Amino acid sequence: MNLLTVDNLHVTAEGKSILKGLALAVAPGEVHALMGPNGSGKSTFANVLAGRADYEVTAGSVALDGEELMELAPEERARRGLFLAFQYPVEIPGVSNMEFLKAAADARAKAAGEEPPPAAQFIRRVREIAAELGLSPDFLKRGVNEGFSGGEKKRNEIMQMLLLRPRLAILDETDSGLDIDALKVVAAGINAFRNADNAVLLVTHYQRLLNHVVPDRVHVLTDGAIVRSGEASLALALEENGYGWLDG
Amino acid sequence: MAGSTAEAAEFARRLLRHSERTATYAPWRDRQRFRRLVKQVGLPENRDETWRFTNVSHWYATALEESLGAADIRLRAPAGVEVLDFGAPGAKRLVDWRGAAVVDPAEHPLAAVNGLLLGAGVAVRAPAGVTLAEPVVIERLGAAYQHVLVVVEDGATLELVEAPSKHAHRIVECVVGAGGRLVHKRRQLGADARECNLIAARVGAQGHYTLSQVASGGALRRNDVAVVLAGAGAEAMVFGAWRLDGDQHLDNQVQVHHVAGAGRSRQTYRGVAGGSSRAVLCGGIRIAPGANGTDAVMDSKNLLASPAARVYAKPALQIHASDVKCGHGATVGRLDDNAILYLRSRGVAEADARALLVRGFLSEAIVDDAGAAQLGLRA
Repeated sequence: MNLLTVDNLHVTAEGKSILKGLALAVAPGEVHALMGPNGSGKSTFANVLAGRADYEVTAGSVALDGEELMELAPEERARRGLFLAFQYPVEIPGVSNMEFLKAAADARAKAAGEEPPPAAQFIRRVREIAAELGLSPDFLKRGVNEGFSGGEKKRNEIMQMLLLRPRLAILDETDSGLDIDALKVVAAGINAFRNADNAVLLVTHYQRLLNHVVPDRVHVLTDGAIVRSGEASLALALEENGYGWLDG
Repeated sequence: MAGSTAEAAEFARRLLRHSERTATYAPWRDRQRFRRLVKQVGLPENRDETWRFTNVSHWYATALEESLGAADIRLRAPAGVEVLDFGAPGAKRLVDWRGAAVVDPAEHPLAAVNGLLLGAGVAVRAPAGVTLAEPVVIERLGAAYQHVLVVVEDGATLELVEAPSKHAHRIVECVVGAGGRLVHKRRQLGADARECNLIAARVGAQGHYTLSQVASGGALRRNDVAVVLAGAGAEAMVFGAWRLDGDQHLDNQVQVHHVAGAGRSRQTYRGVAGGSSRAVLCGGIRIAPGANGTDAVMDSKNLLASPAARVYAKPALQIHASDVKCGHGATVGRLDDNAILYLRSRGVAEADARALLVRGFLSEAIVDDAGAAQLGLRA
């Protein structure tokens, strides 16, 4: 069974049609890249999946492990294994990164009817992951994303992904604004996350992340629908020829 | 809402009549002077800019009966601190020494009334060079009109904790000597409390003063704060955190006055207003001519938790020196939808996400766990 099945998805925002019959299937163990020009609907798609309220789904369906997602609250989607790495991670002054992570872990445990993870063990685990991503322990004491550089914010998203271990990770332009070193760290995090049971959807404008995280499938989104799908080589062809190449 | 001129005049006359039958407490106080000032200045009126939002006239009249009560002073103080009831012999000496000049009753109409009808006063002195590990805790001052004088002598360190009485007018005068350090925590409890406070501090060279006020509710609560950085390199940190609901009312009028140079001040306010409550925060910075090298910042943020709540946030800066750093910011808004979604997208339920965001918001103006607990913020 597919991990993610999107069928004929139509979405509007403020009365304007943005997604127009998007269809996509992702199997466990796969990494898919969703590419497309600005305004094609990539970020809308990522945000609709996570449950942002600014959009209206007018037709179609999205299923995670066979369960319809669109009727669920954002937290319910998360607890079922959906994760969105935000394009613009939100700053939350006064709430430390560690508190934030613990709140997320506790909420998931509670929803699953389990005991929350013991604090000491949890903190150790978080520190390990932070270290893998080159983030100092001090970083965990700071307010969530408060005063973080662009690269730190993106690494913070990857840290959350590694800690929360979702079924499906959607990475919304996680590569944008990263220098080459940070890009490599983020890519290593994604590769460490990949396994036979989960899946990754990379939403990106550029090909460069795909040099480090090789996708199984590449899809091109134009004007709210997928117009071309192919293997990793499709991303290279796009890089070479630009999105206009598809119109020819 | 506020008292009219006629009302204020009528209540002032009642106070003066009433005071003739009281005034046995601390007879060394110069009550004739306070009497003259009440006659001259009267009670606050709605015409006064700083009293636009709060009417105390009616309340003053009802508080009169309580002002007759005997002084009932309960506090805990560590060894090494001198504590004197205003009614005790020797109090005059300590009060006159350096304290009297901090509050000018001619500038604060209610200070004159307090002086006239004072029912409980206590002076606390930390001797020069002494560091006190335990705080002085003022648990109760039993009278409607109250006065606390705190003197932290040169190089001394003291923490003062107050749990103010309901239904009272309290003056707290703080004198911090050169290199002294006073941390002053005020827990404003009681959803139905009616109280007015005048906190005045004067900080000497290289001295430090922290004021933390945490208010949970309050039917009518008024906080006047005047901090004077009188010596070079003095520092003041002023925090205010509050959480209001129903038809509660909190009015903060704060002025940090840099008189000497090279001083540093920070004012941080965080408030949540729900129900049909009303919060007022007028935070002022005044930099006197010659107070060069001053570094002053005021930061005020308010959350509206209901459509009927009202917040008035007004910064007031008066800068008369050239070589200074001075900044201010005041915002009134709602919880950030993006932040709520961010938390929910990690699996946190919406109500828990809101609670966490409120806690984070308020925590920036709370200095200890007791303050957080007072506002119902789980650890």
